[in-house]
Amino acid sequence: MRARVLALAVAATAVVSGIASASTSVTITSPASDSKVSLHRTPYLAIAGGATFADTSAGTTRFFLRRDGCGTTNDNPHLSVTSGTDAGDGCGLIINQVGVVGDVDQSAFIDFPASDGMPLALDGTKPISGQIALTGAQVGIAEVDVTLAALVGGQAVTIGSTTGSAVLDPRGNDTPVPFTIQPNLSLDGSDVQALDLRVQIHGPNVYSGFVSLNGASYVDMPSHAASVNESVSVSIDDPTFANAVPARLDGSSWTVAVATPAVGTHTVYARSTQGYDTSATASSTFTVTK
Amino acid sequence: MRILAFVLVLTALGAGSAGATPAHHPLYMPDAQHIASPTLQPPPICCSPVGPPVAGEPDPVNMAYFGGHVQVTPKVYLVFWGWGQPGAFDHATPGMPSYDPDGAAQRMTSFIAAAGGTGWANVSTQYYETVGGQNVYIQNPSNILAGTWYDNTNPIHDNVSGLELAQEAQRAVAHFGVTDLDNSQFVIAQPQKLNEAGFNGGVGYCAWHDYTQPQYYPGVQPGISFTNMPYVLNAGAGCGENSVNTGYYAGRLDGFTIVLGHEVEETITDPGAEDVIDGQNLGGWYDYAAYENGDKCAWVGYTEGIASPSVIPGGVNDITGNDGKQYAVQSLWSNASAAGAGYCAGAGDDLPSG
Repeated sequence: MRARVLALAVAATAVVSGIASASTSVTITSPASDSKVSLHRTPYLAIAGGATFADTSAGTTRFFLRRDGCGTTNDNPHLSVTSGTDAGDGCGLIINQVGVVGDVDQSAFIDFPASDGMPLALDGTKPISGQIALTGAQVGIAEVDVTLAALVGGQAVTIGSTTGSAVLDPRGNDTPVPFTIQPNLSLDGSDVQALDLRVQIHGPNVYSGFVSLNGASYVDMPSHAASVNESVSVSIDDPTFANAVPARLDGSSWTVAVATPAVGTHTVYARSTQGYDTSATASSTFTVTK
Repeated sequence: MRILAFVLVLTALGAGSAGATPAHHPLYMPDAQHIASPTLQPPPICCSPVGPPVAGEPDPVNMAYFGGHVQVTPKVYLVFWGWGQPGAFDHATPGMPSYDPDGAAQRMTSFIAAAGGTGWANVSTQYYETVGGQNVYIQNPSNILAGTWYDNTNPIHDNVSGLELAQEAQRAVAHFGVTDLDNSQFVIAQPQKLNEAGFNGGVGYCAWHDYTQPQYYPGVQPGISFTNMPYVLNAGAGCGENSVNTGYYAGRLDGFTIVLGHEVEETITDPGAEDVIDGQNLGGWYDYAAYENGDKCAWVGYTEGIASPSVIPGGVNDITGNDGKQYAVQSLWSNASAAGAGYCAGAGDDLPSG
C-alpha cells in the first residue's frame, strides 16, 4: 500500500510544471544616453527599447491535497505543489456516514488553501481535472463536491465547481473520485494570487473513512509557465512612474511616442512587468535643444 | 405609553447608579462561542434583573441615555500599528502589499470610508446627547474616515497590553493633531502576529472599546475613545470569518468589518464606555444590563458555518456602502424599531415593520 502510494506521488510530481518564476528586463535604445533632441524638429519624441519576458508556455500545475495533522490545532489542510508523506493522512474527513438510501450530506466541508505555487498564471481555456481519493469502510456511491475559489486582483472569484462521483470500494482501498471543472472563461490569463479547493462529500453510501493523502488526491490546474500579462511603461523625469504611459509591445521590442519635453536635460525611465514581477528600471538621460 | 414609561424607569436606574463606581473593564465584543461568558459581560449598572444575551438572538429591552456625550459628528481614525514591522505577518500574497497580505487593512479602510451615510449608520441618528437641556442628535455624515496611519515607527510587540494600546491611541491623537476628542475615535488595529494579550490568550473576545481615564490608563491623556482591534482572522469563524459571504475568499474578511463596525458604532453612541468617574456617568446609550447597541445585536442569526447565514431579521448581512460595494456587518440596536419596542436594524434585513 505504502509503495503504491509513493509510486503514485512520484509519477504525479513529474507532471508538475508551469510554476510561475517570471523574470523580466527592459532596455532603452532611443533616445540614447547623452543624445540631443531638437524640440523644433521633433515635437514628438519616439522612445523605444527592448524587453525580455519569462517563457509563458502552457502546462499544468498539480496541487496535492495535504494535511499536517489530525485533530490538532495544526492540522493545516492545504494544497501544495510538492507531495510527500502527510501526517494528517487517515484523518476522518467524515465518519459514520449512513445513507444508503438517499443523499446524505456530511454537512461539513473542508478548505484546502494553497500554501505555495502562487502566483499561478491560469489557462482558462482548458478543463481543470483532479481526483479525491476516498479510503475506509465504505459501500455505495460517493459524491464529492469540489469548488475552486481564488483571489485575482485582490478580489474573490470562483474559478468553478463540480461534483464527481464513484462507486466506493468496499475492500477499503482507495477509491479515486475523479472530477473535471470547466473554468470560468473570463479568468483566462488571470494571475491567481491565492487558491482554495473546497471539498464536501455526500451521497447514497455507508461510509466511515477519510480523504486519502500522500499524493493520492490532487487537482491539476492548466496554467502558463509565467504570466501572460506583459507590459512596458515609460516615465519622463519621474522614477516613481506616477504618471507613466504604456508602451506598445511588439515581440521583444517596444515603442511609445510622447510630447517632447521642454528644453533642458531630461531622463526617460522604463520598466517592464510580467504579472506581479517588475523589472529593474532602465533610464536614459538626454538633452532637448531648441 | 408603557414603553415610554419603561424607558423613563431605565433612565432613572442609570441616574440612580451614578453614586456607585462599577468595576472597570473595557467593553468587550465576545466571539461567537463566548457571547454569554460571565467574564465578558459589561460591568453591572445596578440591579440588573436579566442574564446575558442568548447566542444568536437579539437582546431585548431598549437602551437608555445615561448622560454622557455621544459622537455627534463622528470621526474615525484608523491606526495600523506595526503592520510594516518585521514579523508582523507569517505569509505573503503575490500582488498584495507585504504589510497587508490578506487585504484586511484595505478592507477596513474601505469599509469605514464607505460606511458614512448608509442606512446602517443611520440607525444611530435616533440617539442624542443632552447639552444645556437640548437634545443634540448623532449625525450620519457621508465620510467618517478622518485618517489612516501606518505606524511603523513606534514598535509593537506580541501580547501588547490595553495600556499600551491606549498609549498608541494617544500617539495617534498627536499624529493627527486631533483637538475634537469628543467626536473622534481611534481604532488601534494589530497585524496577524502581534496582537493584544487577551485576544491571544483566548479570553473569548474579538475586540473591545474603552475611554481613557487616569484611574484606568495612568499616564495617558484622558478622554480618548479607542478600540482594540486585533487581527480577527486569527480567530476564524468565532470572529466572523465566512459568516456572511460564502466562498473561502469571498467571506474571509467578513469578520473585520463586522467586528470593526460593532466597535465603531458602539463608540459613536457610547464613547465614554460606561465610565462613572467621581459619581459622574460618562456613558451614553446602553440598556440596564449595560449592553450597547452593538452588544445587543452581536452575532444574531450566526451559526458559525453550521448552517447557511441566517435570514432572520437583524441577522449578520451585507450592506451596500456609499462606494457601491458590499460589506458584511452586524445589525445595530434601534429603540425605534418594532413600533418602539426596539429591535436589531440597519443590516438590510430589518423587521418588515421596520
